This record gives sequence, C-alpha cells and structure tokens, in this order.
Amino acid sequence: MTTTQENRWIGVSAPRREDAPLIRGRGRYIADIEPAGTVHMAILRSPYAHARINGIDTAAAEALDGVHCVLTADDLEGIGDFPTIWRLPGQKECTTPAFAPGKARYVGEPVAAVVADSRYLAEDALDLLDVDYEILDHVVDVEAALADGAPVINEDMGDNTIIEYTFPGINALGVAGDIDGAFEEADEIVSGRFKVGRYSGVALETRGHVAEWDDLRQTLTLHSGSQVASLLRTELAAALGIPETSVRILTPNIGGAFGNQWDRYPEDILVSLASMKLGRPVKWIEDRREALQATVHGREQLQEWQLAASSDGTVLGLKGRVLSDQGAHLHSVGIGPAWVTGAAAVNQYKIANYHCDVVGVATNKTPNSTFRGFGGPEAMFGIERMMDKTARRLGIDPAELRRRNMIQADEFPYFSPGGAVYDSGNYPAALEKALEAVEYDKVREEQQSLRDQGVYRGIGISSYIHVSGFGPSAILGILDYYTGGYEGSTVKIDPHGRATLYTGMIPMGQGTETTLAQVAADHLEIDIANVRVVWGDTDQTPYTGFGSAGSRSNVAAVAVIKAIEEIKAKAVRIGAGLLEADPDDVAYADGRISVKGAEEMRSLSLADVAQQAYWAHKLPEGDQPTLEATYVYDPANFTTACGTHVAVVDVDIDTGKIDWVKYVVVDDAGTIINPLLVEGQIHGALSNGLGGAMLEEFVYDEESGQLLSSTLMDYLVPSFTDLPDFEIHHLVTPSPHTEGGFKGMGEAGCFPAAGALANAVTDALSHLGVEADQTPVTPSRLWSLIDQAGG
Amino acid sequence: MAENMSVVINVNGAGRAVSVEPRKTLADAIREDLGLTGTHLGCEHGVCGACTILLDGEVVRSCLMLAVQADGAEITTIEGIADGDDLHPMQSAFSEYHGLQCGFCTPGMILAGIDVVSRNPDPSPQEIREEMGGNICRCTGYQKIVESVQAAAAVMSAEGGSA
Ligand code: FES
Ligand code: FES
Repeated sequence: MTTTQENRWIGVSAPRREDAPLIRGRGRYIADIEPAGTVHMAILRSPYAHARINGIDTAAAEALDGVHCVLTADDLEGIGDFPTIWRLPGQKECTTPAFAPGKARYVGEPVAAVVADSRYLAEDALDLLDVDYEILDHVVDVEAALADGAPVINEDMGDNTIIEYTFPGINALGVAGDIDGAFEEADEIVSGRFKVGRYSGVALETRGHVAEWDDLRQTLTLHSGSQVASLLRTELAAALGIPETSVRILTPNIGGAFGNQWDRYPEDILVSLASMKLGRPVKWIEDRREALQATVHGREQLQEWQLAASSDGTVLGLKGRVLSDQGAHLHSVGIGPAWVTGAAAVNQYKIANYHCDVVGVATNKTPNSTFRGFGGPEAMFGIERMMDKTARRLGIDPAELRRRNMIQADEFPYFSPGGAVYDSGNYPAALEKALEAVEYDKVREEQQSLRDQGVYRGIGISSYIHVSGFGPSAILGILDYYTGGYEGSTVKIDPHGRATLYTGMIPMGQGTETTLAQVAADHLEIDIANVRVVWGDTDQTPYTGFGSAGSRSNVAAVAVIKAIEEIKAKAVRIGAGLLEADPDDVAYADGRISVKGAEEMRSLSLADVAQQAYWAHKLPEGDQPTLEATYVYDPANFTTACGTHVAVVDVDIDTGKIDWVKYVVVDDAGTIINPLLVEGQIHGALSNGLGGAMLEEFVYDEESGQLLSSTLMDYLVPSFTDLPDFEIHHLVTPSPHTEGGFKGMGEAGCFPAAGALANAVTDALSHLGVEADQTPVTPSRLWSLIDQAGG
Repeated sequence: MAENMSVVINVNGAGRAVSVEPRKTLADAIREDLGLTGTHLGCEHGVCGACTILLDGEVVRSCLMLAVQADGAEITTIEGIADGDDLHPMQSAFSEYHGLQCGFCTPGMILAGIDVVSRNPDPSPQEIREEMGGNICRCTGYQKIVESVQAAAAVMSAEGGSA
C-alpha cells in the first residue's frame, strides 16, 4: 500500500452511490432508452437444430403496413463476422456470423430480422416470413458428435472436433512431470466420470441495443449492455466496414451480465446495420425465450479423470480428458473456458504429474462461451469430487486427504503443472478455518446418530483456486488470446480540487463505481463525495484491453492508484514552486501539499494547486497546464483468490430433495476494498454456482434437437427458498503482484459450490454408494440414483 | 388490427388516460404510454416478478394483464412509493442492507416486500423467503434482500405499520 495516511475508505463498507436511482425506479436500462423516431427490430430464429436454408420469401412481411425493412443473409454483403479471439494452436477457423450461413446450426440461430414501427408489429411480420428449410440430421450429444458418421455441423472443419489441446502444454517453466511413472508407482488408481451440466448467467435483464446512425456525420452510436465496450467498438467497426473512430458505444445500467455480455453477438451487427440502412434509431430487446436460446450458454463438459495415489493419501498424478460441448460454433472466447479447466484442475494440491486432453466439440446447440467462473467451476467440480472419491477409497477423512496434499503457505510462488503461477494464499489455514466454523468433528458425530434416526446428513468440502485479474498482456499473447490484459484510468482534478475518474470498467451491479471512488478518495486523500466516476462512454473513457468482469476491478483499481500517483507528483512540483521550496522538501499528505516539517505554516490545499495548474501562470518547467493523468496498467501477473467452502445438507431419500443445514465460506481475496459489496458478490456468485449444482439446466431433446428449457418455467433459476443463508469468513493474504494487494473475487463463489453440494449429497448417501457425478443434482436425478442403488 | 381503446387508470395517485391497442400488456402501457420505466420486464411470462406493481392494493404481475383490464383501477408503481424526497422505509432498507446489485429486480422486490409487511408486520426470515418466492433475483442470492425486508418491517411497524 502506498498511501501516506491511514485508509479512510478502503476496507470500509461505503454505501453504494449506484443505489439512489435504482431504488426509485429511475435506473436507465437499455429498454428504457428510446430516442425520437425509434423503430423496433424483431428476429426470426431457426426452429430447427440443423437445417439448410434454401430461400426466404420476405414479400408478405415487407408489404405489412408499418414494416420498414426485412434483413436476411442477402443483406450481409460487405459485412464481416465476429472473430473468435482466443485462437489456440491447432484450432480450426471459426467465427460468429450475423445470420445463419446458408444453414441453421442450432435452435435460435438468427435467420432474418424485421424492423417495424413497434415491437408488436415487428413480431406480426415475423409470422409472415416464409423460410424454405431443408431439415438435416442433428446431434446434441458430445460423444455422439465424435462418433463415426455423425452429422458434420461445420463442413469446412471436416468433422466435429474443433480442437484438441494437451496439458501440460504452454508451460514456460517446463513442469511436465512423469505421468506414466506416477501411475506405475500408485497404490490406488481412482477413476471418475463427470457430467457438468449446461447452464448460464440468465441475467434478469435480457440483452438489447439501440443503434443510432447519423448519416450526415457518418457516426454510429450504439447503446448496449456489453461488458466490453472497447472490444465491441473495435470488432463492430471492422464487421461493418466503417472506421472505428465513427463508432461510439454508450452503456446504460446493466441488469446483470455474468460474463455472457462479454461476447460479441450477431444482433450487435444486425441492429447497427438496420439503423445504417434506415437512417433512424433501431431498438432491439431480446425476449426471454431468445435469451435462453441465443445468449451464450456455459459450462457443459464431460470429464474423465484418473487419479494415482499412494496408500498414505499422497496424490501422485492426475490424468484426464475433458470434452467441451461447444455448441454449433466457437463464440468470442473459443474454447477458453475448457482451456482454463485444464489449466486449473490440479487446484490447491501438489500434484507434480499431470496430463489432460481438452477437446472442443461442435454440437447442434447454442454456443457455449463466457460465463461467470469461465472453466474454473468445472475444474473444481471434477477435482473436488475426485478428492472425495479417493478419500473414501483409501479410508481417509476427506478433510485429512486435502490437508496432506495442499500447497503450503511457504511454497509461493507456486508453479502449477497446469501452467499457472499461483501468487499467494494460505490454503491449509482456509481449510482449518472452514472446518472450525462448520464444527466439523461435531457434525461428523451427529451424522452417525442422525442416520440411525433416518436423517441422511452429508458434509461436503470443496476447496478452490480462482486465477483472476487476467493479464499480463504478454502472457495472453503466449496463450494466443488476441486481446490485452490491461486497464486504463484517467483522473482529472478540476480547478476546485475535485476529482473525476474515467474508467473503462462497466458496472454490472457489483458496485464498481463505489469501489473505484473509494480507492481514488483514499489515494488522493480527499472526501469520497468529491470523487465522481465516469463510465460507459467510449468517447470519454480509456480503452480497456480486456473489459469488465466480476474479477477485474482489482486491475482497474491499480490503474486508478497509478494515475493518482502521477497527479500527486505533479501537484507536489507545482506546489513547491508556489511555496518557494525545493520539491524534495514538499510532500502530498491529507489532500494537501506542504513543506515537510512546516505543514502548519507552509501548506496548500489540492484546490489551491489545481487552480494554479489551470491558470498556468507559473508552472514548473516542463509541466503542462491542468492537473490530470492517464495510466494504463498491465498486470505483472495473475492473482489467485482461493478458499474452502463446506456444505452440510440433509437428503430426503424418498423424494431426492436436498435440504440445507449450513453453508460455510472461507475466502481469501486479498485486500478487500468494500466488505459489504464483497459479501454481496460472494452471495451472488454462490447462487450462480449452486443454481447450476442443483437446478439450472439447458435440456436438449435428443430426438428433435429442441431446447426444452426455454422459458423460466422450465429453466429453473434458484428462488428465495432454494438457497441457504451463507456464513462467510475471510482470510486476507494480500497479492504480492498488485499494488494494494487486491485480488479479483467477483466470481469466486461459483467455483467450489457444485463440488461442495455434490460431495455433501454423496456423503449423505454413502451407505447406498450413490455418487453425485452429474450436475445439476436435481431431485428427480437424485431420486433415480437412490432408486437404482436400492435406497 | 383492432382499434385502439381508451383506458383510464389512477397511477400513483393521479388519473391518467391512455389510448392503447387491446392486446397491449399493462406492463408495456406503464412503460411506454405512461412513461414509468421503473417497472421492468424480465420474462413477460409471469415467473420473475420484475414487473410487480400494486393494483387496487394487491400485488400483480403487470406482464400478465392487458392494459384494458386495468381500466378504472388504481395502480402503484415503484415511482409512487416515496413521499416526495422521503424514501419509503423499504427503499432505504434495500440500500442500507445491500439488498440490490444490478437493481433490475429491485422495483418488483420492493413492492413485493411492502406487500409482505403489510400483511405480516413482523415476518421471520423464513416467512419472507416463502412469501417472496415469486420474485427472482439473479444477483444477490437473496440473503441480503431478506435482511432488507426485515429491517424495513421494523421501521414500518415503529412508524405505525403504514405500507
Ligand atoms: S416480467 Fe412479469 S413476471 Fe417476469
Ligand atoms: S439485483 Fe440484479 S436481479 Fe436482483
């Protein structure tokens, strides 16, 4: 920490400045934006999983009164696709087109669009479009997609394998190990096969855009809920074939994003194109069915692991294969999440010998891409289930098995065979703290006596790491990730000494505006009321290499601190001139610029100095007028948040229903800026994690290829009564890699959740030998497992 | 297409007349014709509760009703619950107890919370969870909403139970 005073705001639960409009119903979300003359777009989507499009008759729709235009693939001449920006070696070429390219590859792929006076009318017109579909064989199962004779979804790829990637792969440190040796040496080899269900962010607000093309100025203003306005601007301009300088992205309030809004989507192009064609504002708001069909899905993987252990519980090696069901085509981040699964699967354990094949497979389903957690929760589910299976096989308590294999606090930085460098943490301390909080020994004892009374109580431990703060850019380069990992911040002090901070971060509900204001107030040592945060306008805010994510504010915070350091240095130079002192004898403290040792007598306020900086009558040689600085911070390394969660549940063996007893969280997210907001993020991420562990699933019908869960009646997001109260404890191991010691943690809660739940359920049913190896562990799925086991 | 129909609604204490297509939902009329965009749409099929309003004192999902069905009714939306600059205790509590993150569910949650407390002035956490089960929040995991509603209930009963 570089502050010269005690923190007044960092570490404090400052009230959120975001709240005032939101609690009054005066937030401004994308659907609330409607410039004069706006017309409305609706999109026709493929009702088939796989079908050639032989023609579209648009005449009747075009003839309908109030319809302004109909767009089909024929209108895309000169319009490019969105690229896949994570392009690993050996990955087949794959992009995201605005309309299905000659054939539809999943239910929900855009086929045509109508623009009309109202949304109601536009939807009427969709009914008048006549598409000549030729239905093709489809495949929605990842293993079936790899079988000989499976329908090929992207002909130019030759088959449905998009990429095979092997770990250890990119590993600058060459920590490869000897996997065969480990398995030869093992006393026990434990196997597991896991199905991680397909689910996603399902933000309460659906996606949407309002595009305004100004044909006189030749500029496009896009109001959009994208999490990554800079990248969207770059890629949208390229796709539309217009200069990037002509594009401005404005971001209003966002009603949840959860990673899904990180991607670029066909509709980003379609709404812009329609506005350019019509010369008037065009608005598109996704409806819920579209949101479930056409906003990216996440997670789905089939994992097979083998773990080699010695009889004392030492894990000697881990090898596996991860089949990632990518859906019809790669989306913005390619197989990124599955790659992270491969990189993170060794988790907190000293597993020296590691091998993992990650295979990206195409199926006739919605693309599987960015979603809170990004491959990490999938990895944690597999390894944490494997640890429990191993413990049971060896007759060692699951807590003890973890204890024996964890990386110790004095072993950082730790070079993992997955290729990551873990910066810091104290894994055993987090485990012990969680066990203590849950009263592990006591719960274990009670478990016995309860079982005699017919109550099936289970305890599930799940430890995790979350590699966050994606960057440094050079490493992203080594990983063939075609974006940067930096964040920029501009801080301007006005002539009255107040600060305006411009960030490329986009608040999505996590309180970024408040958090960054806290950091700025502390480092400028001024009142937080005198800090304004500007976001959501690419004409004003710095370009961000990576864009917003729940775990990015740590990187953005450092950019703020660095810009403020420059401002303070300049204020000291200007102040020294005014105080007629040597700059070396002048210091910035408590929002004042003073001669050291004479703070009472020879001192200026930030406002005094700022005023002089604007008048610029008497500036030090070489200094420019005004008082502002921009700093673009490229992180020195990744940071790793970590922790252990313990779930305690009762399972009703007659119904498969799971009842919560307790859920204990111990997280280590480094220095915490705002404890209340961090708690909120942990709760939220946990509800995402537990939702996918227990309820949420995109279910596809094998027979028809239809998405069966395409309303919120069928796709079950957790409600008030599905989630427990969470008991949260913190450990604080500041990251040595970031100024301020912050680690990203907005996603961490979803990492261990599924493992904790599944381990608890398996533990509760250990007498039956039921293993919860598929998520979500729905009551019906669990009931059939119990039934098969004769329970 | 059917002719527009004229509908008179008392909105947050003031009579308003709008002319709408018979098929227009009440939620769309509130947002588009009355210009009150605090009522949000999360599903348009009655599951999420983001469009919750009070209609003649009862909580309803405005996406499931047609505007013409509200002819002659009194409705309260999120914009109508503060007393001028004085926030309703439920609004203050949501902010103080971090009962909102993105804020999209919040108008519906606040109105549902007011409804719960009007029927049960001292609800237990479990009662709040059960009674508000029809409103979905994707950001908070609910725990802090439960705390907010409990805190507001205490203030509201101290103030004489006015909802
Ligand atoms: S929008 Fe009305 S219940 Fe979801
Ligand atoms: S605060 Fe985002 S949905 Fe509830």
